[in-house]
Amino acid sequence: MTAITKELNQTKRQKGFFRRLCGQWQLMVMSVPMLLYVFLFNYAPMWGWLTAFQDYQPKKGLAGSPWVGLENFKFLFGREDFLLAIRNTLAMSVINLVFGTVSSILLAILLNEVRSKAFKRTVQTVTYLPHFLSMVIVVGMAQNIFSSNGAVNSLLMSLGLVKEPVFFLGKGEYFWWLVGVINVWKEVGWNTIIYIAAMTSIDPSLYEAASIDGAGRFQRILHVTLPGIKSTFMVLLIMNIGHLMEAGFEIQYLLRSGLTMKYSDTIDVFALIYSFGSSKPHYAYGTAAGMFKSIVGIILLFGANMAAKALDEETLI
Amino acid sequence: MKKFLAALLAMVMVLSMIPAVFAEETITLTVFRGDPGDQPTEDNKIYKLIEEKLGIKFEFEFLAGDLAETLNLKMADDVYPDLFDGGNYAETLENGEVLIDLLPYISEEKTPNLYKHIYTNDRIKQLMTEDGKLYIIPNYGINYNAQIQNECNGPAFFIQKQVIAWNNYEVPTTLNEYFDLIERFIAANPTTANGTPYTGFAILCEGWRHFCLINPVQHLMGRPNDGEVYICVTDQNYEVTGNDPSVAFKTETFIDKPYAKAYYAKLNEEYHKGLINKDTFVMNYDQYIAALSNGTVIGMFDQTWDFGTATDSLRANEQYANTYLALPLVYDPEYVNGAVIEEHYLNGAVMNKDRGFGISVTCECPERVVQLFETLLSDEWQTILQWGIEGEDYYVENGRYLMTKEQYDNRADAQWKRANRALAIWESAPKKQGTMDNGNAWDPGQQPEIYFGQMNDYDKDFLTAAGKKTPAEFFNAPIELAPYGEAWQIDKAPIDIDYNQGFLPIQDRWLPIIITCDPAELDANWDAFVAEITPSAQIYTDFMQTEVLKLVEQATK
Repeated sequence: MTAITKELNQTKRQKGFFRRLCGQWQLMVMSVPMLLYVFLFNYAPMWGWLTAFQDYQPKKGLAGSPWVGLENFKFLFGREDFLLAIRNTLAMSVINLVFGTVSSILLAILLNEVRSKAFKRTVQTVTYLPHFLSMVIVVGMAQNIFSSNGAVNSLLMSLGLVKEPVFFLGKGEYFWWLVGVINVWKEVGWNTIIYIAAMTSIDPSLYEAASIDGAGRFQRILHVTLPGIKSTFMVLLIMNIGHLMEAGFEIQYLLRSGLTMKYSDTIDVFALIYSFGSSKPHYAYGTAAGMFKSIVGIILLFGANMAAKALDEETLI
Repeated sequence: MKKFLAALLAMVMVLSMIPAVFAEETITLTVFRGDPGDQPTEDNKIYKLIEEKLGIKFEFEFLAGDLAETLNLKMADDVYPDLFDGGNYAETLENGEVLIDLLPYISEEKTPNLYKHIYTNDRIKQLMTEDGKLYIIPNYGINYNAQIQNECNGPAFFIQKQVIAWNNYEVPTTLNEYFDLIERFIAANPTTANGTPYTGFAILCEGWRHFCLINPVQHLMGRPNDGEVYICVTDQNYEVTGNDPSVAFKTETFIDKPYAKAYYAKLNEEYHKGLINKDTFVMNYDQYIAALSNGTVIGMFDQTWDFGTATDSLRANEQYANTYLALPLVYDPEYVNGAVIEEHYLNGAVMNKDRGFGISVTCECPERVVQLFETLLSDEWQTILQWGIEGEDYYVENGRYLMTKEQYDNRADAQWKRANRALAIWESAPKKQGTMDNGNAWDPGQQPEIYFGQMNDYDKDFLTAAGKKTPAEFFNAPIELAPYGEAWQIDKAPIDIDYNQGFLPIQDRWLPIIITCDPAELDANWDAFVAEITPSAQIYTDFMQTEVLKLVEQATK
């Protein structure tokens, strides 16, 4: 009896699925390009991962290059540079994540409280304009602003906060924070958009109810706005944790110098320099470093998702 | 897409096979140049002439982006141009088996010009690889007859000409004199006419151009450019370097030696006097060139070709007093146990080994290409390539080749060059330098009448006041080239990671720290630097020693 019901249910469910699939064929057709895109650019290149286990030489190709087992990974973990690159990547990621999230939520809340629409729009536009600038230009500007006789040092000196110009660009210890600051400046407006969108979807009656109950402005932010964007925040957090191994490439590559290289090189910079930085290409080192990065990224993503599930929070998957 | 590419490739192959059938039909060669450049115009007169007379057309691809990356990608794709110039990374092509051996195509009967070009003075011994092959004919550095050198085009310490003029044309010859002069000049003239403060000494540290930071010591020790090693060729510095006189061509890294510490300690002193700006260690090449072009940088160590654009823009603005004079500085005796060092900045003609066109394995008509080089190397064609067409680009008077002001100025005009010179081929092809058999210079810029005739008045007066005929006269005459050539040319691919990811970056990181640190910490920092660099320096020294001895043996065999 139960077996029959189960079977019946299953066929019903299958039928339901296919009927729905056929019913939404337009949607299916529309998703084909995206699927193709993902397959072509995200899955197909994974063949290349095989080279991480080879002494890969393009002349001989994937089939002809000798297999070396885990030699390339052993090499990477034997280099101090690689361990430093992991540290730098994680450090800059965490700084970017914290700075980025806090600043964009703060700005979103501030904008949300502004009554004048014109002012709000102007601020929004101005703050997200830098997002469209090339990193080359942004770093060039930062190099000017933070140089010994740049704007920041002039300001600090005239305020009497420092006696000598601070060597922002040449001190390894400052590098991570500098990257954090530049990233905030460049991306804060852009990241704010999604939080503002989340805030506009909060039911206004909640605010009214809160004011009737005697909540002041800060209490309304604390008890209505923040809980209202919590689910957005959680989803973004989980996604960002999945990207923790990607602290960026351009900004570090452009901003690095001999003095800061111990703090500046992320895994991506490391991969480029070790693969192509000499007269002999070492494709396998770069591939191995990239592969390591991806695998850690996947583990982090699922880890964060599971943690969120365990805490009964919004999850991604 | 793949099919399309395959079809395209098949078509290219079929097309390039045609010349094999009709030997003298016009063919098109694909050419890659390992540096950025300008496409010639469609009706470029020299290329037109080559097409008419030799039946060869060219299709150029110039470097856009990073060279090493581009070459590595081309190798991964296995699609090569016929003429392949790997620029500063040509070793990559040789190591990747992309180029064909040229020796079978070169003989005294079939290609007399090329044969003479590479066999005279046993040059071939230096040019051949270990397994007896020749992949690339040098693009520069093979001289005919007397070599004319009006200027130092290589490494030197530089100083703005106005400083020498201010010093009554007395020229510093040692490290102390040089910095003393800069100090005195800045004390008397802290800012430019429009109020920008002067920078005493700039050090470019970016990427492969970090030679400005790490190379000076060998020159201060009296050697030409061997890259990052000091090689004992004369006995004058044995006592200072500790090199063993019983071993000829003993090779050592200099950067970790006490005599190098003296240089960086001197820079530390100047840094604390304010002559060196902190930002110099984080500036990129563009910022460096901008600073030089402003005329605010008094001095630096560099190579003349490396800041040519800055010189051009200073000249264009008629800021002649801010252009630079190259100086061959050496250590004062106090730095090197009292030894008196003689400068040897200028070297005998150095063949630019492994730099120039090679023929790729996919080229269908290597014989024809070699024949092209052979023809272009004839006196007639060399004159066309270097001087142009008689009557249009230059004129002859009493057997001397001369140019009017307009003809000379044309040569600096990028638009004119696109239509009237075959630079994309000439620059990387084998060429004649030095003097023609009829006594004219191969390079118009070196022809004395032209060099002095076109010189600006400031430079003329400057040289007269300094009592010199040419800027090169501030240097000793070039010394005889050592049998190993110049050691920077040695391919470090076998010790690649230890060299590129160890030996060099350690210097990039430590030397700026040593220059900027508190003088009280200098000794401790230096010791830490030496301790960290010793393992990779050892690997590098051992490798270079073996290679240098191998080259010496090859040359004297």
